[in-house]
Amino acid sequence: MFFRKRTALLGFFLMSASSLPQTAVQTESRARAFRLWITAGPGLFWIILFLLIPSAVLLGIGFLSSNDYGSPVMPITSQPFQQVAGFSMLGWDDGNIIIFLRSLEQAGIATVVTALLAYPLVFFIMTRPESVRPLLMLFIVLPSWTNQVVRTYAWLELLGPNAPLTWVAHALHIVPPDLGIAPGSFAVTTGLAYNYLPYMIVPLYASAERLDWTLVEAGRDLYASGFKLFWHTVFPQTIPGLLSGIIFVAIPAFGDYVVPQLLGGDRALMIGSLIANQFTETPDWPYGAALTIIMLVFTAAGLIAFRILSRRLGGSGEATI
Amino acid sequence: MSNVVPRSVRTMLSAISWPVYILLYTPLALVALYSFAPAPNQTGHSLHAYSVLFADGDVGAALRRSLILAFGSAIVSTSLGTLLGYGLCRFRAPNARGIAANLPSLIIYTPIIMPSLVFGISELIFFNFVHSTTGLLNAGLGTMVIAHITFQVPYVALTVFARLAGLDPNLFEASHDLYADGIKSFFYLTVPVVRPAIIGGFLLGITLSIDDFTISFFTSGPGSVTLPIYIYGAIARKGISPEINALGTLMIAVIIVLAVAHFFINRHRERASQLPV
Repeated sequence: MFFRKRTALLGFFLMSASSLPQTAVQTESRARAFRLWITAGPGLFWIILFLLIPSAVLLGIGFLSSNDYGSPVMPITSQPFQQVAGFSMLGWDDGNIIIFLRSLEQAGIATVVTALLAYPLVFFIMTRPESVRPLLMLFIVLPSWTNQVVRTYAWLELLGPNAPLTWVAHALHIVPPDLGIAPGSFAVTTGLAYNYLPYMIVPLYASAERLDWTLVEAGRDLYASGFKLFWHTVFPQTIPGLLSGIIFVAIPAFGDYVVPQLLGGDRALMIGSLIANQFTETPDWPYGAALTIIMLVFTAAGLIAFRILSRRLGGSGEATI
Repeated sequence: MSNVVPRSVRTMLSAISWPVYILLYTPLALVALYSFAPAPNQTGHSLHAYSVLFADGDVGAALRRSLILAFGSAIVSTSLGTLLGYGLCRFRAPNARGIAANLPSLIIYTPIIMPSLVFGISELIFFNFVHSTTGLLNAGLGTMVIAHITFQVPYVALTVFARLAGLDPNLFEASHDLYADGIKSFFYLTVPVVRPAIIGGFLLGITLSIDDFTISFFTSGPGSVTLPIYIYGAIARKGISPEINALGTLMIAVIIVLAVAHFFINRHRERASQLPV
């Protein structure tokens, strides 16, 4: 019995086999298990060793004290989390709360902007001849294959202190003279929307491709037109794609590091830069780890919420692991 | 379907979409435009920035490291990911349920879902910890390759899995009936059939590696500056220069040329395979 328990623990995803009686089925499932271990084992082991264990270490460090060099030391304490909430030796400070809210706001705006742009783009592509559609999709995705740093700093050429769009902003008196649109929060929003637009378009396009157009025709036969027709016949069918798009945009945008770093400056600090600072410029590893944990909690909460939503509203029928 | 969308709506869609397409490429085009800035004290356009760039040994070294990183990590992740996707598709107990059965999926999706900053910082802490206790895994190109493999494996596995899941299971039965054992059927049936997915996974791995900055940044050491880290450092120190624009232009151009070439070659092949025999 004990032995059987241990084999079940070792072959943790093959437990169904261990309860069967000793038959040919069991021998066959043993062979299957062995093959699964040889083939899937190394890849899974790699991810566990180099990602799951490191994240577990990170989670642990968030509950340790820090020494004078910002390195984690015993004893266990909740001090890093107090720091996250804004408490320090100087009293309470709303800096961190503001940074968290700003990150949420930036991610939210970027998601809305990408969704608003994605709908016309997706249906524009859908109304083109079938042979050019893949090419039009390629040119949507292409910028996101260039390096993060290159495609982000490229926006400084348009929004920087001495760049074309900044001159326009100066002429309209939107931006004070001598300053650029970048660095600033508008530049961050633009950069995030630019970086993550393809992540909204690709899932939306996938659901638009599977759209049942007979419903639209039926709606038109019932004298619906314009926005009403779209809202009642097209939109509900694209909800699964939209939800995936929201996840793909909002989660990475919330924790983005490159965009606020290059386009934001000190005035538009986001959670990503705040975390990174605790590991580079002014080291305080436990504080940084605690910030990361909070960010992960937000990420996980968002994921679970959208997962439940998309289950309720009907998921996609594609083959996934 | 196109007859369902009225003409006025189509005009509106075009009016919104073409400017977006232009906007997508304007920043990249400006990088290229400014890379042809003249040499100091001269006017007009020139290739001055490019000649400065090619003479710079640091850039050459960074390029070499970027290539080692991209190809090294993609080769390992393609092998691990192909086996992983194959194993999960073929050998997972068919009616297993519960957390234990879903564990491999959970493990595979973690690197995809985890924000890259959290990914990078976890690795930074882990490598640092391992180095301080055992002396192994000193931050450098080696740790960067390890990290890049980690985020590529799931994408390769998903690509291969999707291809295999679309196959007729009878194919494997047939190869078994013809006395092919597991290894033979892997090399003579699976590999040829999923070759497009394996190549696709490999290219995806390289693309992901070239695209990445955040994870590279946190796993690199002082002696392992790659191209993106070089550009980031240069901009942080002295702002954008024509040389940086020249480097950026080359990086953008290589990706665009390769992607467009890959697209048309693939399309040509697909068309050829659809011809009636």
